[in-house]
Amino acid sequence: MSIDSISQDAPQDPGVQRPIPEAIRQGASATAESTLNSRHRKRVSKAFYGLCVAISLLSVLVLVVLLISIAVQGHSRLTPTLLTGSHSTSEPASSGMYPAIIGSLAICFVCALSALPLGIGTAIFLEEFQPTNIWLRRLHGFINLNISNLAGVPSIVYGLLGLSLFVFMFNAFGQIKVNESSGTEIMGVERYYQVLTLAGGGDSVLIPQSDLSQPTITITEPMPAVDRQGNTFQLEVWDPKSETPKPSDPAIRHRTVRLGQGGGAYAKTSWYYFRLPFGRSFLAAGLTLSLVILPIVIIASQESLRSVSPSLREASYGLGATKWQTVRNVSLPAAIPGIMTGAILAMGRAIGEAAPILVVLGATVAKNSGPQNLMDTVVTMPVLIFHWAGDPQFTYQQLAAAAIIVLLLILLLMNSVAIYLRQKMRIE
Amino acid sequence: MVAVLAMCALATVGITVGIIVMLVGQSWNFFNSEHVSFKEFFTGTEWTALQSKNIDDAKFGILPLLSGTFRVTAIAMLIALPSGLITAVYLSEFASKKVRAVLKPTLEVIAGIPTVVLGYFAVLVIGPSLQWLTDGGFDAFNATSAGIAVGILCLPMVCSLSEDALHAVPRALREGAYGLGCTPFETSVKVVIPAALSGIVSAFLLAFSRAVGETMVVALAAGTQATYTMDPRTQSQTMTGFIVEMIKSENEYGTVQYFSLYGVAIALFVITFGMTLIGQLVRRRYRESYS
Amino acid sequence: MTLHNNHSATIPEHTRPIKLPSDMPQSASVTSDPTSNPSNAPQLADETCIEIANFNAWYGSFQAIDDLTLKIPRNQVTAFIGPSGCGKSTLLRWINRMNDIVPTAHSKGTLRIHDLDVLSPSTDVVHLRRQVGMVFQKPNPFPKSIYENVAFGPRLHLKLRRGELDELVEWSLRKAAVWDEVKDRLHAPALGLSGGQQQRLCIARAIAVGPEILLMDEPCSALDPASTLAIEDLLYELREQYTIVMVTHNMQQASRCSNRTAFFFEGRLVESGPTDDVFTKPQQKRTDDYVRGRFG
Repeated sequence: MSIDSISQDAPQDPGVQRPIPEAIRQGASATAESTLNSRHRKRVSKAFYGLCVAISLLSVLVLVVLLISIAVQGHSRLTPTLLTGSHSTSEPASSGMYPAIIGSLAICFVCALSALPLGIGTAIFLEEFQPTNIWLRRLHGFINLNISNLAGVPSIVYGLLGLSLFVFMFNAFGQIKVNESSGTEIMGVERYYQVLTLAGGGDSVLIPQSDLSQPTITITEPMPAVDRQGNTFQLEVWDPKSETPKPSDPAIRHRTVRLGQGGGAYAKTSWYYFRLPFGRSFLAAGLTLSLVILPIVIIASQESLRSVSPSLREASYGLGATKWQTVRNVSLPAAIPGIMTGAILAMGRAIGEAAPILVVLGATVAKNSGPQNLMDTVVTMPVLIFHWAGDPQFTYQQLAAAAIIVLLLILLLMNSVAIYLRQKMRIE
Repeated sequence: MVAVLAMCALATVGITVGIIVMLVGQSWNFFNSEHVSFKEFFTGTEWTALQSKNIDDAKFGILPLLSGTFRVTAIAMLIALPSGLITAVYLSEFASKKVRAVLKPTLEVIAGIPTVVLGYFAVLVIGPSLQWLTDGGFDAFNATSAGIAVGILCLPMVCSLSEDALHAVPRALREGAYGLGCTPFETSVKVVIPAALSGIVSAFLLAFSRAVGETMVVALAAGTQATYTMDPRTQSQTMTGFIVEMIKSENEYGTVQYFSLYGVAIALFVITFGMTLIGQLVRRRYRESYS
Repeated sequence: MTLHNNHSATIPEHTRPIKLPSDMPQSASVTSDPTSNPSNAPQLADETCIEIANFNAWYGSFQAIDDLTLKIPRNQVTAFIGPSGCGKSTLLRWINRMNDIVPTAHSKGTLRIHDLDVLSPSTDVVHLRRQVGMVFQKPNPFPKSIYENVAFGPRLHLKLRRGELDELVEWSLRKAAVWDEVKDRLHAPALGLSGGQQQRLCIARAIAVGPEILLMDEPCSALDPASTLAIEDLLYELREQYTIVMVTHNMQQASRCSNRTAFFFEGRLVESGPTDDVFTKPQQKRTDDYVRGRFG
């Protein structure tokens, strides 16, 4: 059909005979006018270029203003106290951020430990094990889409998830309440009653707690006890109403308590103290942050793996290596610098993140040391900065700026490592 | 081993499921309360969850928080979208190597600045500057200074995503345009940007979602009063700002006021997740069309 | 596709004997020279259109063209042949200053189109490129509709009324021998066309701004044989009104559709002359080796 029509058309194809339209002829001959037109267009183009340069310079300017204003505000508080002290309500001038620095690093460590294996594992699965089955491919695509969506979820929502998932664990293991319940304890804690001895001066012994529901004890009979050095011995009881005189030997006094002496609960925790749910602990905070940075780690690792030349993999398969051997010996080593760069950048994000930590740990900053055990609460730098920046006292405003300088320096240090890795990767 | 890796991958789906289960489960406590109705939640113009300790006085209409979020986001987008796109055009079309060597790291540094720092910057510099410029026409805490800071925060993101999109436009199209006698401006605006349009739109959507979800800047700079207005000079508590305030207030766990934060959170999640999803889908289609 | 094949297969028999239309209008050239009536063109074979003398070009420190002198005549198809990297594409891209967008490219020497000094910094590049259209190796239609692609150039340079623009688009598409295939879907995306149709669309786009010279950088290398044939036929027709300079790797193509051939080797012009002479009795041994396919 159409073939015929074409071959009939072709001989008298009007394209050849047709005159050049008036429009072109006019435009072409009106040289002066079209030069004018092109001069105007070039002026527009130049103006646009100027706009580009100006707007781009604006971003540099903003950065400079930001850094200068913070330096001006904070330089007078960049003292050793800032690095060694802790937040103080009574004496703002002596406040410092030592617990916050330690806390941020501790959280970052937990975060790296959990997000990196999970993230890199996911990236390897998505990039190296691409299925051929149509349904599995769809699943792959879905997981990929889901990951890029997770990257867009506001971090505060992760904070709320962390609150439910790690702090309360959906209340599946009981609720943590001060002086009432501490959830389900797994390890790292020994609970005692602390009882004053006859030695006086606050000297006390510890009696192992057998029933956790009893917060106090009253001594009525001799029982096994533990001294400060951790030695077990038999506790003796002295009844003041009896005729027996009060023992005079200090060694015996150390092991003797008055009849009817009361004792309160005392928990001796090791660094590996572990319980469920985690409560407002730095472990919970670190895990929550790992959710925040997980998509970033995955996407960076995927890009890094994708940039490994396929010919390297093919060479490995060509030598008879299995898929897993290829991943372990070829793809992963080649991608590791890129993955590490991405991981460090993600850590930088984690250190600067405040909102999820605020949700998980609360806004309190009153803490004068780093975390003592896994279940201990912490202060982090961004939360401390938030607290200080929100305080109307001028000293705290200055402290906030100084703390920002410290935070930015730490970030700069991390980014330099990342850039160094990237350069090194390029050279190799 | 593959099974372990597959578990890792599925765990990421688990996170999404976890978020949804958590939000729905917790906000159930809020929406199920006799003091709350869906109608009031979506149409009420007063939000007094923090101010009224007595549940009978509390008003739960999300519109003031939404309008606060909208004001801050609109100002942020007014700043981030044009300047991000123009910077991206400059980087991908015109910038010499030397300029790139300055501009790219600058943008990366801005992208790496913790948001709490930008919030502090908004309070320290932007707010007072606005007050000074307008002779006190702005509140000490206002939507504009927060919006500007959020805009600065989104700019590197808009820029790098748009630049990716512009980069994906084949060189041949630019040559075609120059070959027809286009000026550099005409090449960028009439050929390259339209060809990269879906990539740029997706960058805009992702930045929008980022701005809606931004927390620390608004918590510091936007103020703590939920106002239902379009005036960008007033205090404007946003959805995220409210969540932070509620967490900070240590309101008793279990009260309706406390659970109202989950009602806000689910609205926030739906908006940002929707935007991101559309943005990602557009971005994917765009990527496919040029590869 | 079948439609396309037939088109290219049928045209040659009917159109190769050039029937010069009596109503052919004045040339679209900007330098509207009264002697440039295309109907006289075949007779004016030796009128020089592009004059290149002692021309050198570099990319950074790499010298791509070394002291080249060549005259390209008006209303003829001139083919540049030679092995890869011999500088033929570079020269082509200097004729309309396309290399301006390559930051490292620079040049020295004379390159004139009639009396216009192409390389002078004061030359209006926008204007120059309107006179010197270019068609690229890979078809590069803009991701717009077919109509918008052709109308793109005129919209830049001319202020046209809707009807004039429609007329111009139709004329250009007819001229590029693609009208019949696209007339029913002018507003469909150009990227939906086949490769050969896309390339003819690009030719239509180039001639829609009324150039005098058409530069073609391996216009068929990305096309299948049938589409190639269609383009070659088109070239044969177009040379009545345009001066065509074509880079090609394909020797058969050069011999089929060019009047003159220039052979380049390592940045130098080895030999140039009428195509028949270059292919049948080359003066230089290297040319002989190359056209016989001994290297390159």
